[in-house]
Amino acid sequence: MTEAHAMRPARTPLERMEYLLIVSSLLLMVVVTVQPLLNLLALSLSDPSKVAGFSGLSILPDGFSPDVWLLLLQHPYVQRGILNSVFMTTASVILGTLGTALMAWGMSRPGLPLRRTLFIFVLVTIVFEPGIIPDYFLMKQLGLLNSYWSVILFKAVNAWYLIILVRFFEEIPQELIEAAEIDGANPFQIFWRIVLPLARPALATIALFYLVFHWNEFFHPMIYLNDQSKWPLQVVLRQFVIGGDKVAIVGADNANNNIGIGQINIRALKAGMILITILPILAVYPLILRFFTRGTMMGAVKG
Amino acid sequence: MAQTHPEPIAATVPGNVPANPGISRWGVAWRKWWPYYAMMSPGILFFLIWHYVPIWQVQMAFEQVRIIPPNLWVGLKNFQQLFASPVFYQVILNTLIISAMKLLFVFPVPIIVALLLNEVRSGTLRKWIQSAIYLPHFLSWVVIAGVFIALLSPSDGAVNQLTQWFGFGPVNYMTNTGTIRWVLMASENWRSAGWDSLLYLAAIIAIDPALYDAADIDGANRWQKIRHITIPGITPTIATLFILNMGMFLSADLNQIINMQNDVNASTIDIIDTYVYRLGLQTGEYALATAAGLFKAVLGMALVLISHLVSKRLTGKGLW
Repeated sequence: MTEAHAMRPARTPLERMEYLLIVSSLLLMVVVTVQPLLNLLALSLSDPSKVAGFSGLSILPDGFSPDVWLLLLQHPYVQRGILNSVFMTTASVILGTLGTALMAWGMSRPGLPLRRTLFIFVLVTIVFEPGIIPDYFLMKQLGLLNSYWSVILFKAVNAWYLIILVRFFEEIPQELIEAAEIDGANPFQIFWRIVLPLARPALATIALFYLVFHWNEFFHPMIYLNDQSKWPLQVVLRQFVIGGDKVAIVGADNANNNIGIGQINIRALKAGMILITILPILAVYPLILRFFTRGTMMGAVKG
Repeated sequence: MAQTHPEPIAATVPGNVPANPGISRWGVAWRKWWPYYAMMSPGILFFLIWHYVPIWQVQMAFEQVRIIPPNLWVGLKNFQQLFASPVFYQVILNTLIISAMKLLFVFPVPIIVALLLNEVRSGTLRKWIQSAIYLPHFLSWVVIAGVFIALLSPSDGAVNQLTQWFGFGPVNYMTNTGTIRWVLMASENWRSAGWDSLLYLAAIIAIDPALYDAADIDGANRWQKIRHITIPGITPTIATLFILNMGMFLSADLNQIINMQNDVNASTIDIIDTYVYRLGLQTGEYALATAAGLFKAVLGMALVLISHLVSKRLTGKGLW
């Protein structure tokens, strides 16, 4: 970032005031961003008997107890959600990254017949989206409703990520590829031995794009999967936090009789559930910061 | 589609094709390029199935769906029914209001954030701030809605606790039709004001540092430099992103709204997409919902194409 005006003559008190104002407004933004999450963390780690009046402003747990986290992580419904999410996200990321890379490799080759047509073929899908009902009917006709595959296969290759990757592959020096062709390597070998190793950062970026996208996806799993045992974590969370369906998490008996998990404050359970859902994102966040910044630049305008 | 490699590969230049009477030019090209098409085939297949089959199926908008196929062709009857319904107009109006509000109250925020970030002299401090404010962009709308429900809770939410200090009574922002649209604005800003500043920051970095040096010599202060160098420098980026945003005017973000919606606020923030979802997948009015979806898709396509062309013409940058 620009350090152009870093070395300047001595600052006047007014300029110092301005600077203080700028930095403090940014710090205020940091607080507004992070405080709500820390508050939920504190709430979920507080002593369950004390959370009834827990203030939304506090960021320190009132007492300490891992009960909420333990109860949630041992809950079959939540465990199932975690497994479903991990399975569907992993499958989607592998399928999406591989499919995108293979298609981008072909589309990045300058002499490819029908290259322009292929670009138009992809761009049409960005511009015209017929909406969720035709998608739903297609899923129904394919017999994939209520199957994990509906979520994994649906729009597995993303048009934007594809174009980003084509742009990246185009920057691989053609001499390298031509030299390999002269050596008798076939396109599969060139892809595997030259393109993939060279494009590792770009592929990592695309894989991360897919990872974040699929982990956070709730709408399509929600409409395609009827069977609650197949729901990913986001849909479980939605049912519980947005839909207010307490029974699904604590069980009808516990909820009605206020026993077991039903005794735990529902606010604390919701807070814990939200945090469990964002934990994987936090785990890859350093990678996101490293790769996304560049990836977004590669895509010029669209992230 | 800028052709980055102007020199064509030997085989595609007609003159270089070996004079073999038995094999056409296509045959020669195919012999060289079929492995690429083999590798692209899964991707092409995905696009055909998930994008082109639904485009074909959109004809359902002109049909009456029957339990036992085939469906009955009814022409524009579904559209007539749609336009006769006052709900549809309300939904369009809501979409336009929410999109316009986002353009006014969400779009400028990342620009301001980028300008502020650029003024931070310490690289470490700036990185630290960036790492914090980018985070919400990577959270799902389910999570963000959950966070906002907690944040805005009338009993213990942080916002109501704060306003209480100033003597205001608790407000249930989520179920108040007067405030829910502002909750949409606030949550959208919470989610992306940080991350979206990245593109503007990139544009600021690209400004020639010599301009700032010259301004320093002339004794320009911070605001003069921002007004006369930085803002003009990022105007093309602002224009591009503004126009591209216009292209999304009919969307207004289904994922956000479907998670913020409840029985009380539904009428104020019901948009075309949530209407299609409810009509189609909850009520089972498939044909009617498809028609509403098609209406949005066609107008949306026109908006995207127009904004793309305008953006290309004015700033040289478009969607692709």
